[in-house]
Amino acid sequence: MALRASRWRWSRAGWQRLALVLLWVGHGTWVLMGPASGQRWSRAGEAITRPSQGLAARWAERRLAQRDAALELAELRADRVRLAAELEQARLQAAREAPRQAEADEAVRLLGLKKHIPLDLGAARVIFSTRPAVFGGLILDQGLDRGLVQDQGVLVPEGIVGRLWSVSATQSKVLPADAPNASVGVMLMRSRATGVLQGLGSGRALIRYVSNQEVVQVGEAVLTSGLDRVFPRGLLVGYVAEVTPGDLELRVILNLSAPLDRVSAVLLLPPQPPVEVQPPFLAPDVKPSKKRGTP
Amino acid sequence: MRLPTPSSLRQHLFCGVTLGLLALAAPFPVVQAILHALLVLALAPRPGAPLSGALWAVAAGWVLEGTLRLYPHLGGTAWANLTVVLLAGWMAGRWPLEGLRGWLARLAGLGILHGLLVHGAVRLATGPHPWGWGWLGSLLTLPLWAWLTWRLLHPHAGTGRR
Repeated sequence: MALRASRWRWSRAGWQRLALVLLWVGHGTWVLMGPASGQRWSRAGEAITRPSQGLAARWAERRLAQRDAALELAELRADRVRLAAELEQARLQAAREAPRQAEADEAVRLLGLKKHIPLDLGAARVIFSTRPAVFGGLILDQGLDRGLVQDQGVLVPEGIVGRLWSVSATQSKVLPADAPNASVGVMLMRSRATGVLQGLGSGRALIRYVSNQEVVQVGEAVLTSGLDRVFPRGLLVGYVAEVTPGDLELRVILNLSAPLDRVSAVLLLPPQPPVEVQPPFLAPDVKPSKKRGTP
Repeated sequence: MRLPTPSSLRQHLFCGVTLGLLALAAPFPVVQAILHALLVLALAPRPGAPLSGALWAVAAGWVLEGTLRLYPHLGGTAWANLTVVLLAGWMAGRWPLEGLRGWLARLAGLGILHGLLVHGAVRLATGPHPWGWGWLGSLLTLPLWAWLTWRLLHPHAGTGRR
């Protein structure tokens, strides 16, 4: 073993030779690398690291896209919260404004009806409804203080409502047309047969005194006849729902067209109106037409 | 008659002085080229001790290129010096000197080889470059510095003439 170790031991000359070889090879390698070695190393490094650079670039793009998406999501969430708050506020506002809006709509509709009836019509607000009770009615916010008297006709744009049953100092009570003790002079639109309306409750009424000889069709409109001196001729009352022949007269049941349970504002006809009134001529709204070539 | 090898200390002293002069002669490229050839071809080679000669030659190459400040990639001259000094050392051991004439002839041959090798190595390292006049100066002044080094390294030896 000792011999073998001494055989492989490096001498000083061997170390010198090794140093010379390394020196010469190192210098030669350095020289052969040339002036563009930096570029070559850079190119080699780029070639080696190109996949990882691609992956890193994709990763960076993905992170960027995720960041953008997160920002967008945050903005959308903030917008959603803001819009939800605005929506809630708008709903609250709408709920707050709803009664006023409904009243305004009702007023507009009443004004439209008022244009078509050439009478001095008054308006009143329904402040309470006792219709569910027996002989119930509608309580209006006006009475003797506004010059109301008994038996004034009450109507809405959909049709007649009833008549004033009692008038107090500041309030008045409306007897609806479907009350059992109500009576309105009516006529059928097609046959012009007249009769007297008698209420059946729940928005239904019976027309009395229509002869068996008359031809009445279901769905036929029923108008006021003006003979009761409460309503003028021609106001809509309702539509025929059922016709049954009786012994002497037809049993004609109609559905009142006015929504008696949902009335909030009404028009009041003057006392003892004329039997027949002529609706005023209302010129239709015509758009101004331009002739071709005129400025 | 075989000449005795100069003492190691004396040779290293001459090499160090020449290396210093080489660095100081940077403003004069032709003089620098002559000193460079002198150091690499005449002073550094030593039979039986190639490593020290190689280190002096490499140092001379790096000093020359470093002071010239011309090449974009250094190291070509040092590599050529290393090759030549190893060859010169081997030749000194293989064919010992017997006189000044042989010394001149050997230096002339090694000088030409050294010039070609330096130019080729620098070309490899940096690309094409002009030759300059250093090689011509070193070859023209070769008798002078060869005689000078002969007298320095072998002061007791004759000129070899009989």
